[in-house]
Amino acid sequence: MIALLTVIFSFAGALVCGLLPATAHRRIRWVALLTALLGLAAAFCCALRYTGPGMEDVIRQTWIPSMGVAFITGFDGISLPLLLVTGLVAVAGVLFTWNLDHRANQFYAFYFALIGGVYGVFLSMDLFLLFVFYEIAIVPKYFLIAIWGGAKREYAAMKLVMYSFGGSALVLIGMLALFFASGLNTFDLRVLMTVDFSSGLQAVVFPVMFVGFAILAGMWPFHTWAPQGHSAAPTAASMLLAGVVMKLGAYGCLRVAVGLLPEGAMVWAPWVAVFAVINIIYGALAALRQDDFKYVIGYSSVSHMGFVLLGIGTLHLTGMTGAVLQMFSHGVIGALLFALVGTVIYTRTKTRMLDELHRLMERMPGIAWIFIVAALASMGLPGFSGFVSELYVLLGAWAALPTWIVITAGVGVLATFGYTLAKIHEAFFRERSIGNDASDGNNGENDADYPPMTLPEKAGVALLLGASLLIGLCPWLLTNHIAGSLQLLLNRF
Amino acid sequence: MNYSAIFTALLPDLIVVVALFAALGVDYTKLRGASLTCRACAASRICGFGLVAALVVLGCQLTGSLAVEGHALGVATQGQLVLNTGTLALKGVLFLLGLLVLPLAARTISTPQVSEYFALLLLATLGMGFMVTSRNLLGAFVALELVSLSLYALTALNPVRKESAEAALKYFTYGGVASAFLLFGISYLFGTLGKLDITQATLAEAPRLVMVAYLFILVGLGFKLALAPFHLWAPDVYQAAPTPAAAWIASGSKIAGVALLLALLGPVSLPSAHSTIVPLLLLMAVASMAVGNLGALRQANVKRLLAYSAIANAGYILVAVVAFTDAGRAAAMFYAIVYAIATLGAFAVVSVWNDRLGREALIDDFRGAWKTSPGLSLALLVFVLSLAGIPPLAGFVGKFYLFYAAIHAAPQMEYWSDGLYWLVAVALAFSVVALYYYLKILKAVFVREETGEMDNSPVGLSASVAILVLALLTVVLGVWPEPVVDYIQSYLF
Repeated sequence: MIALLTVIFSFAGALVCGLLPATAHRRIRWVALLTALLGLAAAFCCALRYTGPGMEDVIRQTWIPSMGVAFITGFDGISLPLLLVTGLVAVAGVLFTWNLDHRANQFYAFYFALIGGVYGVFLSMDLFLLFVFYEIAIVPKYFLIAIWGGAKREYAAMKLVMYSFGGSALVLIGMLALFFASGLNTFDLRVLMTVDFSSGLQAVVFPVMFVGFAILAGMWPFHTWAPQGHSAAPTAASMLLAGVVMKLGAYGCLRVAVGLLPEGAMVWAPWVAVFAVINIIYGALAALRQDDFKYVIGYSSVSHMGFVLLGIGTLHLTGMTGAVLQMFSHGVIGALLFALVGTVIYTRTKTRMLDELHRLMERMPGIAWIFIVAALASMGLPGFSGFVSELYVLLGAWAALPTWIVITAGVGVLATFGYTLAKIHEAFFRERSIGNDASDGNNGENDADYPPMTLPEKAGVALLLGASLLIGLCPWLLTNHIAGSLQLLLNRF
Repeated sequence: MNYSAIFTALLPDLIVVVALFAALGVDYTKLRGASLTCRACAASRICGFGLVAALVVLGCQLTGSLAVEGHALGVATQGQLVLNTGTLALKGVLFLLGLLVLPLAARTISTPQVSEYFALLLLATLGMGFMVTSRNLLGAFVALELVSLSLYALTALNPVRKESAEAALKYFTYGGVASAFLLFGISYLFGTLGKLDITQATLAEAPRLVMVAYLFILVGLGFKLALAPFHLWAPDVYQAAPTPAAAWIASGSKIAGVALLLALLGPVSLPSAHSTIVPLLLLMAVASMAVGNLGALRQANVKRLLAYSAIANAGYILVAVVAFTDAGRAAAMFYAIVYAIATLGAFAVVSVWNDRLGREALIDDFRGAWKTSPGLSLALLVFVLSLAGIPPLAGFVGKFYLFYAAIHAAPQMEYWSDGLYWLVAVALAFSVVALYYYLKILKAVFVREETGEMDNSPVGLSASVAILVLALLTVVLGVWPEPVVDYIQSYLF
């Protein structure tokens, strides 16, 4: 029951926030923080009580028996890190939008509806239920971006929703095909996992389901919603998008597509790996070419999700453990980078264009150093979780995939170094370019120091960076559980 | 024949007839010269009491405290009155929805013929009740004509607007031709079957004549259900008719029409017989989904948009009808009900806002409505998202059930055109398109900051209650559809 509390708290929080009057900003933000903290606490309790490696905290209720649908929730070592990252990002999202007062009640209503849906997906052990939560998460995204977003927000929001809905249409077809092929009249994932579907069916349904989910994971060539959506979204929403929504897709790929269709997965795994490597390289190169700071982070998300897909494509315990750990790691770090760029730096400089930033190192040294640490963590600095997870993925790939794929992925890692360092330089160390300097008359005013971070911002940074550091130093806290549960999944291969 | 049995069986309908004449009589005598609002209030109350009394009697009939000898009656009337738990309940649903239309009609009186307006609404409701309880070729046709003629007149009732007369004429001409087709087809069907009672008839195989008969029947019913390519009247009529009348055309007549279609297709339930009719249905399904969804994309007028959405939804319903299974019939019926509730609700909100504007609303006129009327905006959110098929609302379960039933009919897939997978894929692709225009409405309502020119006149208690009931039904049927689905499965088919 504790696990399900995450969903219940979130939806209840959404309701309460929605009902509060729009003018009661203070009350709304405290309710929001409380809701997010309760969710995180519930997720944390789950983590403490989990012994592994099987499914725990299973709740089963009949729901729509005439369609074989039951309400089944539970969690295992694969869902656990994702529950935690959802909780962490939800709390941090509230902290980084502490000063939001424009339609705050509606903002948090949509925000927690989205989070409730995300928790629900990670907890669903019934395919229909999983799909329901997956779809519940779609509409709040639209409103979060379209109402509170930045430039081109309506276009970006619509694009994101169209892509997600299109993906879920694919998933629905695959779902029905599996349901009827099993002949067991149930959507229970634990039961469906034991069914041996015919290899022909697996080979057909696997790509349909995998692509359906992977659209939301930002798989090339269906990634274009991601950078645009991330950049147009308000900070808290882009943190959620990068931090957890993209993980919904990857989780679906892993739990449903790979979990139910092992033979199909073996047929298609090389292709998954190839697309994953394209993601890694393409995302990194595209990030290198961006002028908008948020687009840089957006493309870096695409690149990092490539590692998740690569890990899944290995179908190897180490690689897949890395994939799940990478979901956690990128969830935390990606959200932090979006928070820093979208709120901490933006509210001070009023711009996200790299051309217009200059000498930030001197004008906001504290923030700059934090950003650099976060960016290095994202790049894979040892000591942070990103290093461990990418190492796992590459080791797995080395063991299971052709060498050229691993080497290309390695090149992708180098490209990651490239754009991270280049963009850090452009943002923080570069003197203003000469052309700008000449035309700019009010140099003195522009060179003033920026105010330091506020308390909520500091708390948010500490939370996310701390989580990444903790898992980077003690990866076994999560990897033991992840690997244990994955082993159960891989036993069928 | 036992007349007291017929009297007990038809008591609800008799009550409605009495109420109808009472409304007319009071309006003609006592209220001569009274103000429009006063007359509307009186007429709607009398009609409302009549429908409530009829519903109470129906309830008694359903629970058995007022015994209906359904089977004997069905045989004695040659299937003109098939009163069993299923059809009685369906009739109850129609009466209930009719009851919810009344307060909306009472809000906006655009015509001096007040009592006629309500009398026609009741007549249409009565006709729908007979449509769903009749399994006799001629009885059903007469009931359908009762509905159609009432609706033609309702469309023409606004004497000020020229378009209203034009649309009514169009509706009447098209509808008249459609009825001729239908009657012609029915005569051929009677010629082959040799009996009017279709519960007694099954076709082992379809001779050419039956194909011709069904061709005509489908053309005729295609008009009534607004299925492409016979949909051309719908957008004009929906736009020009008084909004409550348009709502009733979209919702009540859809339920009755689907019930009639399913009844008429009853004799061809054997695979050898239906194979000749299936291509026709498939064609109409795909054409309706395409025309409806693509046509809706370009609409600026809200009622026109809802008309195109009605065309598209009729297409979705056919997806389950072509399955020719009990599950398919149940799904089609369930979806028709769910769709009727949501579209009635959407029309209700649009009706209130049209009044506030004093003209037919464009989507853009709804901008900023969340500020001026948050309650109605929220209700519209529920209705529109249900139409779009977003969980946890009824439209999602309805659509899922349609696709479930379609694939259930032939779940094996060797080749892409096997079973109805491709049709479900087409339907899903179009529901992604549909989300675009549904979100367009919600965008105007929720995203826009500036407000339109709507004033803030009160909604009125009874209309608010009607909208609230519809919204609650939409939510409850989505979260817990099992009782209704189970009921339809066990009693209707």
